[in-house]
Amino acid sequence: MQIEKDTVRIGFNPLTDCASVVMASVLGFDRKHGIRIVLSKETSWAGVRDKLLTGELDAAHALYGLVYGTQLGIGSARRDMAVLMNLNRNGQAITLARRLAEEPVRPGLRWAQTFPTGTHAMWLYYWLAAQGVHPLREARVLTVPPSQMASNLAAGHMDGFCAGEPWNHRAVMDGVGVTIATSQQIWPDHPEKVLAATAAFVDAHPNTCRAMVAAVLEASRWIDASAANRMATAEIISAVPYVNTSKDVIWQRVLGHYEDGMGHHWEDAHSLRFHQEGAANFPYLSDGMWFMTQYRRWGLLRAAPDYHGVAQQVQRLALYREAAEMAETALPASALRSSTLMDGAVWDGGDPERYAASFAIGQR
Amino acid sequence: MSRPLRIVLIHPPHECEARSRALHAGLAEAGYELLASLPADFHLPEAVARLQPDMIIVDAESDARDALEHIVIATRDERRPIVMFTEDDKASSMEAAMAAGVSAYVVAGLQPERIKPVLDVAMVRFRREQQLLDELEDTRHKLAERKVIDRAKGILMNKHGMGEEQAYQKLRTMAMNKNLKLADLAQRILDVEDLLG
Repeated sequence: MQIEKDTVRIGFNPLTDCASVVMASVLGFDRKHGIRIVLSKETSWAGVRDKLLTGELDAAHALYGLVYGTQLGIGSARRDMAVLMNLNRNGQAITLARRLAEEPVRPGLRWAQTFPTGTHAMWLYYWLAAQGVHPLREARVLTVPPSQMASNLAAGHMDGFCAGEPWNHRAVMDGVGVTIATSQQIWPDHPEKVLAATAAFVDAHPNTCRAMVAAVLEASRWIDASAANRMATAEIISAVPYVNTSKDVIWQRVLGHYEDGMGHHWEDAHSLRFHQEGAANFPYLSDGMWFMTQYRRWGLLRAAPDYHGVAQQVQRLALYREAAEMAETALPASALRSSTLMDGAVWDGGDPERYAASFAIGQR
Repeated sequence: MSRPLRIVLIHPPHECEARSRALHAGLAEAGYELLASLPADFHLPEAVARLQPDMIIVDAESDARDALEHIVIATRDERRPIVMFTEDDKASSMEAAMAAGVSAYVVAGLQPERIKPVLDVAMVRFRREQQLLDELEDTRHKLAERKVIDRAKGILMNKHGMGEEQAYQKLRTMAMNKNLKLADLAQRILDVEDLLG
């Protein structure tokens, strides 16, 4: 098997869930599969997208929604994109300012998320709507860089935010915010970050991409294998070149130990997962389609997309299956899965346009 | 003489980097109106909505990029060019970024007298692209109308045994009598056909 390009530049944003991409390089799983991963720390999701499109990055740790937003031309020029694999499930959260912690969530609050078509925007919208608050009409929602969330919250510029870790736990530790909901409460085992590339890169470098997926699969399996491995992962990714924070901010939630800042402590049954015997990594068509249904729901898509067609084009199922074989990772029987979200709505990939229109609160 | 370009500069949280100072100087010298230099915080969308700049300039490596992305989507019916400034002076990555939809790159260390032509080109390029997009949208719209009219014509031809020209004249007369656009009348015919089969 000829590797078309043996050095790959993979971009990541400094968040806890960049761990599998980092560990694939740190633990040498890349060399095992005949490639070398060069990690590139990025400062914004828009920057990640632009660098994928210009070829400055070959692949990236990216928000699920970023890939579909670009595929559908929401906010940027339309380009054919690829989801090579899912990187993780769960492990994001919604933080509310400490001063509001005692009150029920009400309309009129100011919220922040991390990217307009991204996962955090969709979790926040879904959660607010499930509380009966229309996120676009009865709340102010803006995009703020994750690193500025806590300071904006402390300064009273906003009332809450949805972001990845370690920023929610950090807000609890700093005493400025409380974890009002975890993303896994909104959708247990929801998809989150993906390994993204442009379709053009994948088509020109299929063997390189298979090697990359196989290496990240092995790293994912290693992280999930034991508490000791998770602890070691937290230690490594907290370093300056990666997340650049103290290990204490990261490790608890990586191990599933949660505290909400209001005196509740729990072991979370659906905390951040990198592998789950491959279930967390499979690029389910239904996962990809879900983001399109939410873009319809919130008016980001003005006409119904070809849900199945687009998902089938973006999710590289065949390539993933071959890479999974290389990494001896189990495959699910179906490319669709069924989930029950916090409001009791079931999403199984069937009739997406009807699902998108089924919500009492939406922007249609 | 057209009015000067009105520009908003988005600066990093810890400002006063040499390159951002150079850019300030270059913009002033080139005769642009620098409306404001803003941090990318919670107030940015409000400020942009209030100031209505012609162009926004931001550091390509800034985490403010995502906040701008929000503004781009929220105001997607009234697009404005976004210009990046960057340390990266490779011509290839500049061209690629522009192909990907960024209007222009301003490279750090660019002489102040070079800034004006770069921004002028960015603005011209952006306007040209907007015009092309508008024309494309217009063509799409006309094509869709054409299809509706053709289908309505087909119904008249089938049901009433009219020739093509006769069906078209009939549609035109009905549209004029009802004071409707031809495409709107055709759509009504299709709706009725849908309901009554």
